[in-house]
Amino acid sequence: MRSPFAYMPRRRPLQLASPGAAVAYLGAIVAVAFLYLNPLVLVAAGVAATSAGLLAGARSAVRAGLRLGLSLALLMVVVNALVNSRGETVIARLGDWPLLGRVDVTLEAIVAGASYGLVAVASIVAFAVYSACVDPDRVLRALRPLAGRSALTATLVSRLVPVAAADAGRLRDAAALRGPGAAAVGKAPLVRRLLAGSLDRAVDVAATLELRGYSLDRPRARNRRARSRYDRRFYAAAAVVLATAIAGKLLGADDFQTYPSIEIGLGPATIAVAAVVLLSGLAPLRHGPKSRIANADGPNSPTWRDKSSRRQRGGDGSSRRREVAGV
Amino acid sequence: MSELAIRRGAAPALAVEGLCYAYPHASTRALEDVSLEVAPGEFVLLAGRSASGKSTLLKAACGLVPHFHGGEIEGEVRVADLDAVATGPGELAAAVGYLAQDPETQVVSTTVAAEIELSLEMRGDAPTDRARAVEEVALALAIPHLLDRATDTLSGGELQRVALAAALVTRPRLILLDEPTSQLDPVAGDELIWLLRRLNEEWGVAVLLAEHRLERCLAAADRAVAMGAGTVGFDGAPADFLAWAREHDHALTTPAARLFSLADIDPLPIGVRDAKQALRGTGVAHPPHQASRRVHDPRPTEPVMSAKGLWVELDQGEETKDVLRGIDLQLRPGECVALMGRNGAGKSTFLRTAAGLHEPAAGKIAVDSIALLTQNPGDYLVRERVGDELPGEQGLAALRTVGLEHAIDADPRDLSGGERQRLALAIALAGRMEGEQPPGVVALDEPTRGMDRARKEDLVALIERLAGSVDFLSHSETKSTRGTAVVVATHDVEFASEFAERVVLLGDGVVIADGPMAEILSGGWYFATEVARVLDLPGVVTPEQGAAALRGEAG
Repeated sequence: MRSPFAYMPRRRPLQLASPGAAVAYLGAIVAVAFLYLNPLVLVAAGVAATSAGLLAGARSAVRAGLRLGLSLALLMVVVNALVNSRGETVIARLGDWPLLGRVDVTLEAIVAGASYGLVAVASIVAFAVYSACVDPDRVLRALRPLAGRSALTATLVSRLVPVAAADAGRLRDAAALRGPGAAAVGKAPLVRRLLAGSLDRAVDVAATLELRGYSLDRPRARNRRARSRYDRRFYAAAAVVLATAIAGKLLGADDFQTYPSIEIGLGPATIAVAAVVLLSGLAPLRHGPKSRIANADGPNSPTWRDKSSRRQRGGDGSSRRREVAGV
Repeated sequence: MSELAIRRGAAPALAVEGLCYAYPHASTRALEDVSLEVAPGEFVLLAGRSASGKSTLLKAACGLVPHFHGGEIEGEVRVADLDAVATGPGELAAAVGYLAQDPETQVVSTTVAAEIELSLEMRGDAPTDRARAVEEVALALAIPHLLDRATDTLSGGELQRVALAAALVTRPRLILLDEPTSQLDPVAGDELIWLLRRLNEEWGVAVLLAEHRLERCLAAADRAVAMGAGTVGFDGAPADFLAWAREHDHALTTPAARLFSLADIDPLPIGVRDAKQALRGTGVAHPPHQASRRVHDPRPTEPVMSAKGLWVELDQGEETKDVLRGIDLQLRPGECVALMGRNGAGKSTFLRTAAGLHEPAAGKIAVDSIALLTQNPGDYLVRERVGDELPGEQGLAALRTVGLEHAIDADPRDLSGGERQRLALAIALAGRMEGEQPPGVVALDEPTRGMDRARKEDLVALIERLAGSVDFLSHSETKSTRGTAVVVATHDVEFASEFAERVVLLGDGVVIADGPMAEILSGGWYFATEVARVLDLPGVVTPEQGAAALRGEAG
């Protein structure tokens, strides 16, 4: 079964954008999540990441990211409530616990934990959207001129991760199919088998890379700069979000205090930052079908109604030839 | 040498002279004094049993041996006049393309377009040249619609074509293929062979193809080379090869050749067309086909497996798909059933659902007790001693059932491929047997991938032994009427004709034919044995049946 985080090519703005633009856009949302602790802004960042993923068609990735992020957030809330007894509003006295000592659960500790949890949710969803929407090959190509060996290692790893995941799934199935009279499969033998299998796979993949000429010393081909008509939109969204977030931070928009009592700032600056971040989630919005394509490539562009020509030419108006060369 | 010179050169596409090679730490040589030449534009078939040296020879021709695998090498290998022993595989990529058995491990990029383009990018080609080369090779292999797809969403056949495109995009003079059809259904396998023939004829690409299912590709070849124990045993025309195989290695003959041998007809045919032409005028009747129909098993016994209105839905990333759509199927004790159909028809899903790995979305399936061996027997082997995998009396009983009790102290890695498969089956059987009696159903998923004919015959014997427990028990004191139903998902029609009494044909998740093996495998084009395609006689599928029909008709 495919991982929900696996990249899936789609003709949507976020996938068609260059890796730099997509990374800048999603990175800006993550930056907001790490810069702020105000729950309103963090919720806005989480919603923006979620809506970006949904608009990009990465529903499974968003769902899986939310599941993972919310589980982590819940864990943070519980741990913070148990280990942190600061705060004025005690809602439960749990007595003395081994290692933890006296445990008083306070509303403030729960809210503080939830705030850290929101950071985790927004970041994880943004990473999930990145993973499902940004072509790793294009990212590696961008990195290759800067660090060839690292790019090679990353290529091997990026290929081996899904292969190892598939192997692990197969090994799990085989373990479930063993007869009750066969020795039970312990975790250690299974992990050892998976590692041995991964090494074999790595050798096969490395052989393929060798055959493709990865070891050649020739100067790498220049890649035409990956361009998309959506790049400007994502760079602009990233710049606005970052500028607003930084300005807001300086103007006190991150007004949030949990101890000794909860104070959540909801001033105009906070609301403005939250609104901008929230709106940025609409950046991957695709324009609806029109009778004539917006003139991206000149007056002779095909109509959207012409499905076959739309398939032959890229969804962003570029021809396949250009796209193959450009990525 | 420039790439253009390599492409246009008159030197042999491959010239091997006195090649000896031993893998690192190996006690014996994998290749022993091999000499071979492949002319430009020639299509050469490389035949031989498992471990005869075919794959090693192909790896030597593309430079992986010795550059990637190490080891000791003697002799000369020249590819388009490049010294393959001195030159690395990356440099040779301009002259030779290589396609291995498992397409999964030959794909290193996320999207199809990036995968095909990679070799050109590494070579330093300009973006416009790369774009044109990708487009042209995609058109040649009929895969332009796949260019934007993620590689991990492709079927086995599609993946194999993409890997072939990646190997061909540099326009090599020679393409090396190591059992490329072993994971493909008959339709995709035939398509691939004829695609190779077309590339060979239209582009002038020399082809060196290692294959076990010779009936599939012998007719397309200009020449056949047989290997055994690391040496070349035969090198000549396909028709002469069959005559040689009849005398020296019966496992390398094709079903049509065996048919002619049994019927004492010479010369042996290299393919269906050849055989039909030879038989023209011999008086063999060609009655019209009868539509296949469902059979009602006359045996009164209760089914050991019963599926009724079975729907199975699988999550495929962003969407779910109905892989099985209302399957009705019953298996009786002692039945040997071949489950056939194209890649993605739902064969594996059906077996996995029966074994409890998938839950039905609707309908139901009832199974007495089932042991399922999946496509990769190695997945079952996690310990370093056979006895540790199968401890106790139940384990020993399972080992006895598959005939491996002598190997109880062996390391599974030291067993042969066939023995490893039997060990994996024993692991699935252990604890599901009543004494020495196997469970109600034994299911095997594509067990013949990469197998030569001799190993397939061993497997047929094992299947017959498992299913034959009815007879065995009828002589015992218990007089039990139970037997094991053996169901095998397979693409291999010749193998199915040897073990199955019933064939169930799946198409897009539904049963499209269910009947006696001889009826189903003689009533079509793709899912038909070579003998059935030659004779076109209802119910005649094996060389023995065909020879009897020929003797009767001709006599």
